[in-house]
Amino acid sequence: MIKKTARKKSVHAMLVYTGGCNGCEIEVLNCLFSPYYDLEQYRVMFTFNPREADVLVVTGPITVRTLPQLKAIYKCMAEPKAVVAVGACANMGGIYVNVYGDLGPSDQIAGPLEKIIPVDGYAVGCAPRPEEIINAVASVIPKLMEAKP
Amino acid sequence: MRVEVPIGTVHPALIEPFRTRLWIEDETVVDCEITYNAAHRGIERILEGVPVLKAAMIAEKVCGLCSHFHLWNSIRATEKAMGVVPTERAQYIRVLVAELERIHSHMFFIGHACEVLGHETFVYRAFELREPVMRILFELSGNRVHYAVPVLGGIRPRANPSDESLAKIRAYVKDFEPKLEAFIERFMSDPLVMSRVTGTGVLKKADAEELYAVGPTARASGVNNDVRQQMPEYKPFDYNIILLGAGDNKARVALRCLEVKESLRIISQALDNLPQGPVLSDVKLNFDTGFSEAYIEAPRGELYHVLRVDAKGKVRNYRIRTPTPTNLASMERACIGDHLTDAVLTIASCDPCLSCSSRALVVDAKTGKEKVFDYASGVGCRK
Repeated sequence: MIKKTARKKSVHAMLVYTGGCNGCEIEVLNCLFSPYYDLEQYRVMFTFNPREADVLVVTGPITVRTLPQLKAIYKCMAEPKAVVAVGACANMGGIYVNVYGDLGPSDQIAGPLEKIIPVDGYAVGCAPRPEEIINAVASVIPKLMEAKP
Repeated sequence: MRVEVPIGTVHPALIEPFRTRLWIEDETVVDCEITYNAAHRGIERILEGVPVLKAAMIAEKVCGLCSHFHLWNSIRATEKAMGVVPTERAQYIRVLVAELERIHSHMFFIGHACEVLGHETFVYRAFELREPVMRILFELSGNRVHYAVPVLGGIRPRANPSDESLAKIRAYVKDFEPKLEAFIERFMSDPLVMSRVTGTGVLKKADAEELYAVGPTARASGVNNDVRQQMPEYKPFDYNIILLGAGDNKARVALRCLEVKESLRIISQALDNLPQGPVLSDVKLNFDTGFSEAYIEAPRGELYHVLRVDAKGKVRNYRIRTPTPTNLASMERACIGDHLTDAVLTIASCDPCLSCSSRALVVDAKTGKEKVFDYASGVGCRK
């Protein structure tokens, strides 16, 4: 009971940047720091400590070089945990995978995120608007609540 | 005793993935190395052999903070190659969007610098000032990040502002100026912030010249290298190029505050003198061109695109050089001699944007061998 109440009152989100274009990152930070959006009013706090985090917000197409870090961070997080994929890149690999040029698809992209870790929330768009990001983060909170303590 | 402090790749102080290695002696930084290849996506490689307009669309996606500058510069290079002349109204709107983007990028920088300082109130205030700019850009182009305003020969007709949206932008500029003044006055007189930034991370003018610093980092050290002086698009506008001599963190932050004011001046001039007429010129596509290059002053400094269009209308040899790799050496030099806690602030004050920088070849002049920076295997890093 205490655990559940505590969890409900303080959801900690962690942002992991995996090589996107900075567009989604700005919008995620906009949700956090802009008084217009302010995620803290929904009791979602921002952290950079994976052991403290409940929600992992992943942006970017997951380049090969950020793959080990992403896996390590996901492993560090305590159960129950949820993952939100923000932006077209994290959801589908984005435009960086293949644009049908002469040299074929890029071999630097390991994404989309679903191939690597299970995803619970989706914010789509290039870049998604802050409202959509807040909506996606809020949509995974029931999963955290329903989990057995 | 020399101790190594590695920071990154994913770390609270760094929003983007890059690794900073600091060597300290008694908490004073004696050496610094920045490795930054984690966000490598291979954009230049996938751009080989795609049609010109598609290439421009993907060049826009190089960076989310200066997407308009990437797209504009890509279009400028293509227009130069093909001999296309954009209409006058289109030029003005391109400048308008560019300066709006410079404002939001600089406000983001100020917010980020305050976040690194640990002063959250100023983060909120900077982001509060920034949000209306994003709304204006959303109103103008239909997207908050990638606006996609320039196209070959002009601008996208959707981004042609009506009288209503022009009035909105005017009202915003009028509203923004006193707010910005109040923010700058409060910010520059804050004893807490100033005690952290004054005199730390000094980059001398000689160092800035030696290391080819670009953009605001160089101008804060007194080196005038604003590419806007050479750009014909900025000829009709009256604005000042801000030069500060101190070269410390305070100068770099103050310079951006002052540049936002100059951008506002350009915006109001563009709104007052916006010519009527079409926004798209008649485009005659000339293929099989030679190499064409274009320079532009992005918020972080000089941005360079070069490309060639082959006989089938496909882009060949697309190369992009962004400002941040040029500034990395300056960041490393500016850290040295300061306390450990100031190092991350100094790096942040040079405004690194590593999403677009992630590629580097090290060429050994003696053997001619090439190797790519890669922190995972340690290739190209200092032992």
